[in-house]
Amino acid sequence: MYKTIIIDGLAFALPLLIIAIGGIYSERSGVTNLALEGLLGFGAFSGALFIVFLGGHFSQNSNIPIYLSIIMAALGGALYATLFALLCIKFKSNQVIAGVVINILSQAITTFLTRQINQNFFEQPSDKFQIGVFPRISIPVLKDIPIIGAVFDNFYTFNIIIIALLAVTWYLLYKSAFGMHLRACGDNPQAVDAAGIDVEKVRFKAVVLSGALSGVGGICFAYSISANFSPAIYMGYGYLAIAALIFGNWKIMPTFVACLIFGFARSGGNELAKFLQLSSSYLDLTMTLPYILTLLLLIFFSKRNRAPRALGEIYDKGKR
Amino acid sequence: MAKDYDYIIEFRHLTKRFPGVIANDSINLQIKAGETFALLGENGAGKSTLMSMLFGMYEPDEGEIYLRGKKTKIKSPRHATELSIGMVHQHFKLVENFTITENIVLGIEPKKSMIGIPMVDIKGTDIKISDLSREYGLDVNPTDVIEDVNVSTRQRVEILKMLYREAEILIFDEPTAMLTPQEIEFLLEIIRNLKEAGKTIILISHKLDEIKQVADRCAILRNGKLIDVLDVKETSTQTMANLMVGKDVSLDVAKEDSVKGEVILDVKNLFLKNMFDVKIVKDVSFQVHAGEIFSLSGVSGNGQMEIADAIAGLLPIDSGEIFLKNRKINELSIRERTEQGISYIPEDRQVYGLVLEFSLANNLVLKSYYHEPYSNRHILNDEAIFNHADKLIDNFDIRAGKGKDTIVRSMSGGNQQKAIIAREIDLDSDLLIFVQPTRGLDIGAIQAVHQKIIAERDRGKAILLISLELDEIIALSDRIGVIYNGEIQRIADAKDISREEIGEAMMGVAKNA
Ligand SMILES: Nc1ncnc2c1ncn2[C@@H]1O[C@H](COP(=O)(O)OP(=O)(O)OP(=O)(O)O)[C@@H](O)[C@H]1O
Ligand SMILES: [Mg+2]
Repeated sequence: MYKTIIIDGLAFALPLLIIAIGGIYSERSGVTNLALEGLLGFGAFSGALFIVFLGGHFSQNSNIPIYLSIIMAALGGALYATLFALLCIKFKSNQVIAGVVINILSQAITTFLTRQINQNFFEQPSDKFQIGVFPRISIPVLKDIPIIGAVFDNFYTFNIIIIALLAVTWYLLYKSAFGMHLRACGDNPQAVDAAGIDVEKVRFKAVVLSGALSGVGGICFAYSISANFSPAIYMGYGYLAIAALIFGNWKIMPTFVACLIFGFARSGGNELAKFLQLSSSYLDLTMTLPYILTLLLLIFFSKRNRAPRALGEIYDKGKR
Repeated sequence: MAKDYDYIIEFRHLTKRFPGVIANDSINLQIKAGETFALLGENGAGKSTLMSMLFGMYEPDEGEIYLRGKKTKIKSPRHATELSIGMVHQHFKLVENFTITENIVLGIEPKKSMIGIPMVDIKGTDIKISDLSREYGLDVNPTDVIEDVNVSTRQRVEILKMLYREAEILIFDEPTAMLTPQEIEFLLEIIRNLKEAGKTIILISHKLDEIKQVADRCAILRNGKLIDVLDVKETSTQTMANLMVGKDVSLDVAKEDSVKGEVILDVKNLFLKNMFDVKIVKDVSFQVHAGEIFSLSGVSGNGQMEIADAIAGLLPIDSGEIFLKNRKINELSIRERTEQGISYIPEDRQVYGLVLEFSLANNLVLKSYYHEPYSNRHILNDEAIFNHADKLIDNFDIRAGKGKDTIVRSMSGGNQQKAIIAREIDLDSDLLIFVQPTRGLDIGAIQAVHQKIIAERDRGKAILLISLELDEIIALSDRIGVIYNGEIQRIADAKDISREEIGEAMMGVAKNA
C-alpha cells in the first residue's frame, strides 16, 4: 500500500511543485500571482490541442507527441501569461483583480473552445480532449530497494522532466544574474532602478516564465489525473500551489517539501478510503485532505514567513 | 596629471522649475577636481534639486552642465554612473534581504564559471569588497544581510557602491542627518580619506561645524539662487549662517526660568520589549510637569525612542504604568491618547508622521479631521480645512510650491518636518513629545522650532524632548534624564549637571550619583 501512496503522491506533488515554482518566480519579482490556476489550465489546453490536431501524424505507439505536448503547454502558458503581465506591468492594474480575471477568462475560453472544436472538427458534443496515457517506467535494481525503491517504480517519465526543471529553475533563481535582479525587484525596485536595471523588463520576464512553468504543471496534471483535458482541470490546484509556496516561504526547496506533504496527504487519503472500504462517495471527503492540511499548516507554520517586501507594489519611477 | 579643463564640473545658467517654484534659478557654479565642496542653504533652497540634475534624475529646464570641460547631457542615473558620478541619497536604496556584497555588485555582477555553467561570483567578490572597504576605512562585513545592519553601515554600503563603480565625483545629500555624533565623526574621517584618494566630493549639510571641518569651499543657496561661494577656512560659521538665512541669526535661544506646575506625565517602572522579545527598557520612571521641558538624553539605540513610542501608544507595554494627568492610559488606543492630550512628533516622519501622497492641507488635519469644524456629520468641510492650513503655513513658515495644495512627497525634507511640528503643536495638547524635532532643518528653522517649543512650555504645556543632539538638549531642557542601555542613569536639573557629566552618564560611566 505504501508503494501506491509514494507513486501517486509523487505524481501529484511534482506537477504541483512546478506550478508553485512558477508562482515563486512571479512573486519574488514583486508581482502577486493569483493567476496560476488560469495559467495551468490554459497551458494544459494548449498541450491537449496539439495532441488532438497533430498527435495523429505520428506513428501509433510513438511517445514523441506526448513530449511535444509538454513544450506546447509551456508555450501556451507563457503566451497567456503575457496577457497577465501586460495587465499588471504595462497597464499597472491591480494584480489581485487581474489574477482573478485571468482565471475566470481562462476557464471560459478553454471550455468554449474545447466544445466548439469538438463540434466543428470532430463532430462530437464533448467538452473533453482525449490526450492518452503518459508513459511510465521503472528503474531496475533501484526499484527493489526497500520502501524508497517505490520512488523508482512505475513512475511517470514527466517526473524526470520536472526534477530537471527544478534544477534549472533553482540555478536560474539563485545563481544567475537574472535571478539576482528578479529577487531584488521583489524587495526594493527603487534600488534595482538605481543600479541601472529595467524593473519592468525583469518582472515581465518573470511572469512569462511563471506561465510557462504553470503550463507544464497543467498538462502533467491533465495526463496523470484523467488522461484528458476538460474543464475539470480547474479544481483549485493553482491555489494549492500558492499555498505551497507561501508555506515554503517563497523559497524553492522548502516549497518542494510542502508539495511532497500535499502529495502524500492526497494519495494517503485515497488509500485510506480504499482500505476502510468506504463507498466512492467518501472519496470526495478524503480528497479534501490536502486542503484541510493546508489550512492547518498555514495556521501553525507560516507565522514567521515573510512575503517579498515589494510584493503587489506597482513600480512607479517618479517616486522619490 | 595633464588636464585639458579647469573645472571638473561646471553649471552654466542652470534652471529648474517645479509647479509654483523655481527650485534652481540660473545657477553658475564651478567645482575643481579633488576638492570637497559644500552646499549650504535653507530647507527648500534647492540643494537636492541641483544635485539631482547632476545625477541625471531631473532634466534642467535651461542651462548646461559641463563635465570635465565638455558639455554633457546627463540622461539618467545610469548614465551618470557611467560618467563616474555617484550619489548617496537622503533615503537609501538598498535591497533588504541581500548581503552587502550582493547590494554592491547589483547590476554589474562579476561572473565565474563552474563546470562550464556561468554563475554570479559572490564569494570571490566578498574579499574584494573587504579590501576596498579597508582601503577607505569603511569597515563593513560583506556577508552581513542589509536588514540586520544599522543606518550608519547602510550608508557605508552606499559609499562602497559608488567606489566599486569607480566613481570620481561623490555626492552626499545630508549624510549626517540620521547619524549619532560618533558615527558622524567616523563619516567625516571617511570623507577625508576619500579626498585624500583624489575624489571630488560634494556635501550637502545643515551643520556648519561639519562643513568647517571637511570642506574647502562652500556655496550658499537661497530661494533657488546662488548667493555666494566662500572659502571655508576664511569664513566664520556665523557669517555662513547669516548669508544662508539672509539676515542676522543668533545661534542660541533665550529662555526664562520655568514655572513648574502639576504633574502631567507620570511613567512608573516601565519595561519594554522589542519585536525580538529582547528587553530594551528596564524599570524606567520619570515625571514631566506642566510648564517644563524634560529631556531624555542618550546615545541612539538605548531605548529612548521606544519610551516615546510606548507613551504615544505605538508600542505595547511589557509592564509598568503610564499616567496622563492622573489617569492611567496603558490600555488606550493611539487616538484616545491624542484626545486625552498627547501630541507626538515621531522620529521617522515619512512613515509615522505624514501621508506622503496627500496634500499639505489634509496632512495638517490628519489628527483632527473627524472633529468640528473640519467635518460635519462625517462630511469634510474643505473651507475650514483650507483656512486652518493657511494659518499654519503662515505661523510656521512652511514653504511649499503650491501652498496648501502641495502633495507632501514633493516638499523638501525640512519643510515636511515643519508641517508635522505645526500640526502637533496646533492640537493644543497638555503633553508634547518631540523626538529629534530639528533633524534635517536648517539653522534658521531650528531656531524657529526651538522658540516654538519654549513658547509652548511658557504656555504651561508639559514637554518631553528626546534628542541625540547634546547641544539641543542643553539649549532647551529644564530637567534632564540620561538613559543608557534602557535604564535611567541620572535625573537632574539642567543647571545642576554639566555637559561632561551628561556625556559620561550617556556612556554608562557614572551610576546614580
Ligand atoms: N519633484 C518635485 N515636485 C515638485 N516640487 C519639487 C520637487 N522636488 C523639489 N521640489 C520643490 O523644489 C524646491 C527645492 O527643493 P529641494 O528638495 O531641492 O530643497 P533642499 O534645498 O534640498 O531642502 P532640504 O534642506 O529641506 O532638503 C522646494 O520648494 C520643493 O518643494
Ligand atoms: Mg534636500
